[in-house]
Amino acid sequence: MSTSKFVRQGFPLWLLAGLLTACTTTTVDEFRQGETGIESHEAIVILGRRQGSTYETREEFVNCVGERVSRGSGAIRVIPEKEFVDSLFPWFEPRTAPLRTSDLQALMEEQVVADKIEEYGVRYIVWVDGQTETTNRTGSISCAVGPGGGGCFGFGSWEDDSNFDARVWDVSSFANVGTISTDATGQSYVPAVVVPIPLIARVEANACSSLATQLQQFVNGD
Amino acid sequence: MFAVTGNRKTTATRSLRVLAVLGMLALLSACGASSLVVEGSYPTPAVRKIPLSLGLYLDENLRNFLYIEYTETGAEEYRVSSGQTHVQMFSNLLPAMFERVQVLESMDDAAAAGVDAVFAPSIEEFQLALPQKTRLDSYEVWVKYNMRLLGPDGAYIADWVLTSYGKTPMEGLLSVEGGINEATVSALRDLASNFTLSFGAVPEVRDWLASRQNVVSNQ
Repeated sequence: MSTSKFVRQGFPLWLLAGLLTACTTTTVDEFRQGETGIESHEAIVILGRRQGSTYETREEFVNCVGERVSRGSGAIRVIPEKEFVDSLFPWFEPRTAPLRTSDLQALMEEQVVADKIEEYGVRYIVWVDGQTETTNRTGSISCAVGPGGGGCFGFGSWEDDSNFDARVWDVSSFANVGTISTDATGQSYVPAVVVPIPLIARVEANACSSLATQLQQFVNGD
Repeated sequence: MFAVTGNRKTTATRSLRVLAVLGMLALLSACGASSLVVEGSYPTPAVRKIPLSLGLYLDENLRNFLYIEYTETGAEEYRVSSGQTHVQMFSNLLPAMFERVQVLESMDDAAAAGVDAVFAPSIEEFQLALPQKTRLDSYEVWVKYNMRLLGPDGAYIADWVLTSYGKTPMEGLLSVEGGINEATVSALRDLASNFTLSFGAVPEVRDWLASRQNVVSNQ
């Protein structure tokens, strides 16, 4: 079968894309410390921890988790992080955000804060903390361009490791009701024979997806 | 005939001169410092208002604050103007903290404005850390302020130092200017947050607030 016929017969591009994706291993752990459940008028807010000096939880990852938790059959209303943090400025800034549930209890004594949280209908605050690290970079790719054309030759690979924790605080009882941890690792490869072909492990995307699915079930009390 | 040739020569010479000047200008602009006016937006604090009237005096140095980052050879690399964004931040922050805020053009206007005190901040130090120099993957800005609270007659009430820090990752940024802008806005946001929550805890300010509270309750 010629390539053109092969493509014409509808070889799905998504399958090709899938074949070009490297493998990822994801582990999710759940530690429950209290009962959970959420009413339809209630919401959650997912916030990234940014107190560390070595890393900050990326806003994109927090948004990814929020977006996935708010869809599907067990969809939960999620207040966007930026909207919540701006609305409650300066109480949830990196320097001032509550680190323990007792800090949240003290913070809720501020009438302005309590009113805003009630206005949003926030039942749970989820603190996401973690990062993706790239290690074991090996190989090299050389590219050259000449009058007759150009091309690359070589091989590169690296390993990505995403580690994220989500701590769930119940705003009604000022208690930490549980922690969900996700660890995703994957090796990416870029072989290059004339054209570089990236085989990228979607490590952070898988960590986001796994964490969001588990978090949705956890909050719904499933 | 000769006249025509002469005119053509003159035109050609002029064109060459113009091209040479443009070329020189292009070279000079490539070597010159890149200028940046910091722009950002700041949220309004959700805090209880202090039932006092405050005069806000931002002097010329703060309003036109310019930081110049130099290369290792001492040439100007980046000129960062953050005066106007400071004005915007303070103008947004203080009306959320005090019952009434009046912007003063001069310290001499304080008594006539009938304010309880005048707040006059100044920038003491501004530091910028660029990824190409630090080998880190983020832009960082660190600013040291001297905060002054004065009576309407210019008398000392409080004087304290506040520092602010802002950082933004390189990832997703299209230019160095964008990184400097984001890090500066982040530092100003940090200042706004720190100032809002620490204002009442500065010992001299706390005493002054308590004394004003007594005056108000005795009236």
